[in-house]
Amino acid sequence: MNRINFERFFKTEKQKQFSTDFFKNAEEYETWDDIDFSSDKEFDGEQTFTIKAEDMKAYAEGVLDDNALMNDEKYAQKSPYRSLVPHPIFMTQIAFWCIGTQGRGNWIRTPGARNPGQDFEFHEPFRVGETIHIKMRPYDRYIKRGKYYLKYKTDFYNQKDVKKATWILTLILPRTKADIKKFVQGVRGLDA
Amino acid sequence: MTKTTFGSVQAGQELAPFTKKVNQEIFWKYAVASFDYNPVHNDPEWVKTAQPFKVPYTVAHGMMTMSFMTSVVTSWAYPAALTITKISTKFTKPVAPGWTVKCTGVISEKHVIAKGKNYVVVDLKAENQDGEVLAVGQAEVLFPD
Repeated sequence: MNRINFERFFKTEKQKQFSTDFFKNAEEYETWDDIDFSSDKEFDGEQTFTIKAEDMKAYAEGVLDDNALMNDEKYAQKSPYRSLVPHPIFMTQIAFWCIGTQGRGNWIRTPGARNPGQDFEFHEPFRVGETIHIKMRPYDRYIKRGKYYLKYKTDFYNQKDVKKATWILTLILPRTKADIKKFVQGVRGLDA
Repeated sequence: MTKTTFGSVQAGQELAPFTKKVNQEIFWKYAVASFDYNPVHNDPEWVKTAQPFKVPYTVAHGMMTMSFMTSVVTSWAYPAALTITKISTKFTKPVAPGWTVKCTGVISEKHVIAKGKNYVVVDLKAENQDGEVLAVGQAEVLFPD
């Protein structure tokens, strides 16, 4: 996928650092078959996310939302919020960053995955300057109409361990590593 | 900033729609904004054969459609200093490049609990230019009064 020049869109430091190649090591991603549901133990994301104004503004710009509270720091500072307000789905950027490439939850990067819908719960708004870490655990796994659904419960905390938000992250996945390998090779690896 | 009280809103009230025409360039920009570089959204050559959605073209990120739907709520709630507490969506049809995505919201429920705990439920829908439903969802919005 590196044939696509994403660099022309980069504006933030994190965008310059994040790997755009979801094929790289894709056969190492966790699969539907791999997930261990025998324990409720939570596990940490691969890295933390320190929120900068440029991160929030980049997300709002990416979803074509020109709300001044999300895009204009001076305007937001004069509002009752006193600082930039993130677009609620900004959590997506935090999640992909924190989950990373090597650790648990990297199945969200799977080529061939499909998004059936998502559930977000917000406890406190994210603020510029906070450092966010995530804790994940397997939540559900099921087969419906021949499709393999996987859900993780992902909680977002700041540096003071205040829970900011929860995402029940759901995808329809290729079932096995062999299926992912097909997708990497450009062959459909799904039956349904 | 606007003043919107719990007493002033009614079930059945429609929020202002959020409408955007999307294309591959917008998918790429969203990939950069979200860090979701899945090839199904970004790689027109790969998707011709891989076809996760059984179509030979890229489709929009579901999270972008969800974001558009959410913007119906933020455009109303943020200027009034209301708090969005929950958002859920289900995607019913993948969004193709060139489509126009129109997102709408209607206040469907008014939960009268107590000062500081009163909230409304907003039913959300995304449709394309032909009126085909792309996604449905709900948001909960908490009022301070």
